[in-house]
Amino acid sequence: MKKLHNSHPPPYPLPSREGKIGEGVFVIPCTVKKDRVKDLLITASEEWDAFVPWKGPEEDVQFVKLPDEKRKNFLDRLSLEDGAPLIPPKTVIFPQLESLFEFEEGKIKEMIPSPTKKLLFGLRACDVKAILFVDDFFKRNFEDIYYLNRTMNKLLVLVGCKTPPRDCFCTSTKTGPFLPVPRSLGEVGKEGFDLQLVDIGKKYLVEVGSEKGKEFIGNYQDFFEEASKKDVELSKAMKKKAEEAVTLKIDFEKAIKNFCEDKISQIIYEKIAERCIYCGGCLYICPTCTCFNIFDGKKGDRGKRSRNWDACVFEGYTREASGHNPRAEKWLRTSRRYEHKLKYNYLTTGMSGCVGCGRCLATCPVNLGMSKLIQEVTK
Amino acid sequence: MRILTTCIYCGCGCGLYLESESGKIVGSYPSRNHPVSKGALCVKGWNAYEFINSPDRLTVPLVKSSDNFKESGWNEALNLVSEKLLQIKEEYGPDSLAFLSSAKTTNEENFLMMKLARAVFKTNNIDHCARLCHASTVVGLAATFGSGAMTNSINEFEKADLFLVTGSDTTEQHPLIGSRIINAVVDRGAELIVVDPRRIELTKYANIFMQQDNGTDVAWINGMMNVIIKERLYDQKYVEERTENFAELKEMVKDYPPEKVEKITKIPKNLLIQAARLYAQTKKAMILYSMGITQHTTGTDNVKSLANLAMLTGHVGLPSTGVNPLRGQNNVQGACDLGALPNVFSGYQKVGDKAVRDKFERAWKVESLPADPGLTVTEIFKKAKEGKIKGLYIMGENPALSDPDLTQVRKALEKLEFLVIQDIFMSETAEYADVVLPAASFAEKDGTFTNTERRVQRIRKAIEPKGKSKPDWQILSEIGKRCGYSGIEYQDPSQIMDEIASLTPIYGGISYERLEPFGLQWPCPAKEHPGTPYLHKDKFAKGKGSFIPCPYVAPDELPDEEYNFALSTGRVYWHWHTGTMSRRTSLLDREVPGAYVEMHPADAEQLKIKEGEKVEVSSRRGEIELAVKLTKKVKEGSLFIPFHVREAAANVLTNPAIDPIAKIPEYKICAAKVEKI
Amino acid sequence: MKNEYLPHPARIESIQRESFDTQTFKVIFVDEKLAKSFNYKPGQFMEISLLGMGEAPISITSSPSRKGCLEFTIRAMGKLTRAINQLKRGNVLYLRGPYGNSFSLEEVKGKDLYFIAGGIGLPPLRSVINTVFDKRENFGKVKILYGAKTPDELCFKEELKVWQKFPNTELLLTVDTQDKDWKGNVGVVTTLWEKTAMDGNQAIACVCGPPIMIRFVVQKLLESQFKEKNIHISLERYMKCGLGKCGHCNIGGKFVCIDGPVFTYSQIKELPAKEHVL
Repeated sequence: MKKLHNSHPPPYPLPSREGKIGEGVFVIPCTVKKDRVKDLLITASEEWDAFVPWKGPEEDVQFVKLPDEKRKNFLDRLSLEDGAPLIPPKTVIFPQLESLFEFEEGKIKEMIPSPTKKLLFGLRACDVKAILFVDDFFKRNFEDIYYLNRTMNKLLVLVGCKTPPRDCFCTSTKTGPFLPVPRSLGEVGKEGFDLQLVDIGKKYLVEVGSEKGKEFIGNYQDFFEEASKKDVELSKAMKKKAEEAVTLKIDFEKAIKNFCEDKISQIIYEKIAERCIYCGGCLYICPTCTCFNIFDGKKGDRGKRSRNWDACVFEGYTREASGHNPRAEKWLRTSRRYEHKLKYNYLTTGMSGCVGCGRCLATCPVNLGMSKLIQEVTK
Repeated sequence: MRILTTCIYCGCGCGLYLESESGKIVGSYPSRNHPVSKGALCVKGWNAYEFINSPDRLTVPLVKSSDNFKESGWNEALNLVSEKLLQIKEEYGPDSLAFLSSAKTTNEENFLMMKLARAVFKTNNIDHCARLCHASTVVGLAATFGSGAMTNSINEFEKADLFLVTGSDTTEQHPLIGSRIINAVVDRGAELIVVDPRRIELTKYANIFMQQDNGTDVAWINGMMNVIIKERLYDQKYVEERTENFAELKEMVKDYPPEKVEKITKIPKNLLIQAARLYAQTKKAMILYSMGITQHTTGTDNVKSLANLAMLTGHVGLPSTGVNPLRGQNNVQGACDLGALPNVFSGYQKVGDKAVRDKFERAWKVESLPADPGLTVTEIFKKAKEGKIKGLYIMGENPALSDPDLTQVRKALEKLEFLVIQDIFMSETAEYADVVLPAASFAEKDGTFTNTERRVQRIRKAIEPKGKSKPDWQILSEIGKRCGYSGIEYQDPSQIMDEIASLTPIYGGISYERLEPFGLQWPCPAKEHPGTPYLHKDKFAKGKGSFIPCPYVAPDELPDEEYNFALSTGRVYWHWHTGTMSRRTSLLDREVPGAYVEMHPADAEQLKIKEGEKVEVSSRRGEIELAVKLTKKVKEGSLFIPFHVREAAANVLTNPAIDPIAKIPEYKICAAKVEKI
Repeated sequence: MKNEYLPHPARIESIQRESFDTQTFKVIFVDEKLAKSFNYKPGQFMEISLLGMGEAPISITSSPSRKGCLEFTIRAMGKLTRAINQLKRGNVLYLRGPYGNSFSLEEVKGKDLYFIAGGIGLPPLRSVINTVFDKRENFGKVKILYGAKTPDELCFKEELKVWQKFPNTELLLTVDTQDKDWKGNVGVVTTLWEKTAMDGNQAIACVCGPPIMIRFVVQKLLESQFKEKNIHISLERYMKCGLGKCGHCNIGGKFVCIDGPVFTYSQIKELPAKEHVL
């Protein structure tokens, strides 16, 4: 990596000093000034494909790639303090449409994405948890080369939510707004984030979650300063405040328990299925949903095999060529959608498939969503 | 890269983001802040990215020689088109040419198409598929209110206390309007009256469901007005101050007491009375309708009758009221607005009006624009079959699958001396073409669409046109130039919009700059005008609203002994029109992979037909084979066939009989029979 | 890391017509190295495709005990399988896999084996049956109960005659609708219970066929004292990837493509009943 020039003198001492076990952290946190974040991103984007939350002209927050040109202008609309983007960062790691291979005259040409370095900066805690979940899924059993190539060199920088969107409930799912910092070497990397930023006014406190995160700070040390005791205290207060800002509280544990014990009545599913208009949005937009379809297209003897997002609420999702469909009835598909997240994911991995982001409700044309179901089944 | 554009499917006009990666569209997502989509999309919007990449896209111009298409260069193809069209004009006169514009292309492109037809070829023979969907709305509402558009706005549904939905399967056809109705009823307790021959999804939520016999709409509407007048539930002040011709209406609807209406429509009289009272007595009451009302030989009468009903009760000109035709195509409103119609220039300015012609002649620097209204779609094909239309230019339409009585349409297409098709896919119609010009898709160009609530909004170029395809506006401009007309050159569609604004009062204040981020609702007559969420506030567009009483007339073709079923056609949620896009979308094609006919289980039992069995459905005009789907959604004695599928094209069966004023065909009812194969 | 999504071309060496809509294709990988090294277990399936037409999971019907032989029996059901059935000798189709678990024969050495199949359910079992016959001495009694809609729809008509001749082996056929030449049993496959002794003690059953048939067969097997864990059932589900990723074949917490397709009845009972597993 080429050494970058910077007008600021390097701060000292370097903040990547190892923490001692017992000090409560694995690396002593440092800080980055808010007005230096843009420069940090521009500098880092020389080496990384940087993805950031960005507020477009429509005021919609999008998690998108920093363009190759006019980065400074682009970053004027960097959106670290708004709520999570409606469209999850899943689009970066598992795009809605992806080519698997091309073919021509019977010859196949693979189209594997190159394993570029990806800096996912400004992720919300729920999305970090979701990425961890999806990572685990695509590595389990067969390794999915398309996913792994896209994601093997990624760095996740979490920025805790200050103003959570009204539909989310991460304090109930224990997936945010901040994630616990590793307190021992055994915990390093476990929470999924590499760095976690806490808004403490004019700067962010930077907590380190992994070796990769530590290395990143080392590589861009000019941007980071040592954190004072006051900074750390402030960050604790900020975290507490953020937690209190999440007002939607649901009994998630009880919901999981009820699901695992099969206590959910068919009537609940039928009610939801009745109202659902089958847009698939709740699943397309879910940061942990990974279902896909594989389809071919061709003209003459040239064509392509691709995969795209699919969703288990659709009738054709399980319809066999014979016409037989084990989930022909609507309520079965509804029950599948919820049980997969709240029962089977939990039983097979210990992680639930819901990270409390509330997007399924936000995108639902008829006001259905995970939080509403959970409220219903824990009444 | 992610760019906000407007969905290409229905008239809701949802904002959607298209994501591109290395020059290819890889996703489509909703916008949280967009006033229509509000963070949501329907299944078609969520999957709008796929067909753009289809390997079937037309990517080079094709010229037919000895029954085969050969790839050609643009220059050669454009020269051929312009020479041939000029030659036909010279030889047979301007009105031997006709132009079909497109409700799928942009406002700018529709404007150019009509400019090409009128300024270059001097013919008013220009029309488009609005003829087949809402021509009766345009005529009917213009006559009663003075403006043929949806009176109110989509977000006003969120505040309405009552919906009268008729002839609109809203959840299937306008999902994000349907969802607003569901939410209003379930979450807010709003009232819902559904009047439909089919037991549509919304009936689940309806307080009153009136299942009329197909084609009897004027009768039940008159019946409701009969009750309202008799019980003095109408808004007397409103009627007095804002309308005219009430006495005539009153006299006419006397003939429609609920007992008589029950006989005609099969709607129980008590239900009708109840509905009439509820509608009249609810302040924020909106009427929504769609093709079930318009696609009849009495389409215009149906629309006028709804307008009468709304005026009678004072339900026009206020928020969350009105008569709301839900426009089908993404830009069918715009295509009408921009004058892709045989009798008007953009903004519904009549071709017969000399002052209007003078204005356009001056602006376009041409002479003698034609003054007589041209031919409608239905007439164009009739004349083509008679050999009187020699050259036809079709942009983005597929009449060989979408028009009624296809056998005749296809004969007409064969008879043409010269047919140009401009499209993104090789359609059923394109197979008859002499020249096929490859057009860019909505993701590959800039422009504007106008949605059903008159919202003019941007579409934005996300990727380069596929292959050698070009945006429609560029192609039209090239043709115009090659015909020796220089007044049709533009650098950018925004310049076309500026020209539109300068010539079209309802679009007068619109420019690309002002359309950021989510558009403006016309009328927007001036640069500082904020747009108009609902029409006819304080005063109707035509001054006083006119009651136009319409007596009931039966449909053109009713079931008889031989053809004993009443067949209706329409769309399903998963597909779009002739399927050129939706059937190239893997998910949509998987969900509804083929053709089917809906039949009531009781009828099926009589005919000994089982679910999924193949049958032949025939009418006096043709026959098709397809699978049976048993459902109580249709009445006994009725059938319903979605018209999306080329393998079993429903329009082989439909009746081309037309409404005498709007010239809209009667897609919604014809007589048919079913036989086991 | 291997790209599991890439299919490999295989040439059709021969085609055997089984019935009006079903044929058995013998194929060999075009890549000689792959053809040599390729290995599979009875009960596994492969994703078969034609480029541009899509993929479908198809059970391997040949037996790994017969080297160099890879066969699939394919019924023309959907767009892809109809297209495959139009292919001729020498044409190429594309394969990836093998996927899924298998009928484990190691554990059942010395035991009696009952194979019960309906219609197109025999091809996957044929892979096991021939593996068994190739080491006939390792197993006890073998009974094959096979039913089809019509006599024409019985697969492997010639081979059935060969199977019959193995020692200590019984083959029972039945059809739903007979034709004039049919002299055997008429009725669903469970009617064969009346024709032979079904002793489930110490015996293993392998079942494959349409869901409704499986349901009734399992009932009968349980009545005949088969233990739940000794009833092996090959399930079918709509599938896309075969790798436990795409989600389509997910039932409860299991993927039919990687946890199956072969499940014991005790495993199936653990799956949510409402998902119409059987």
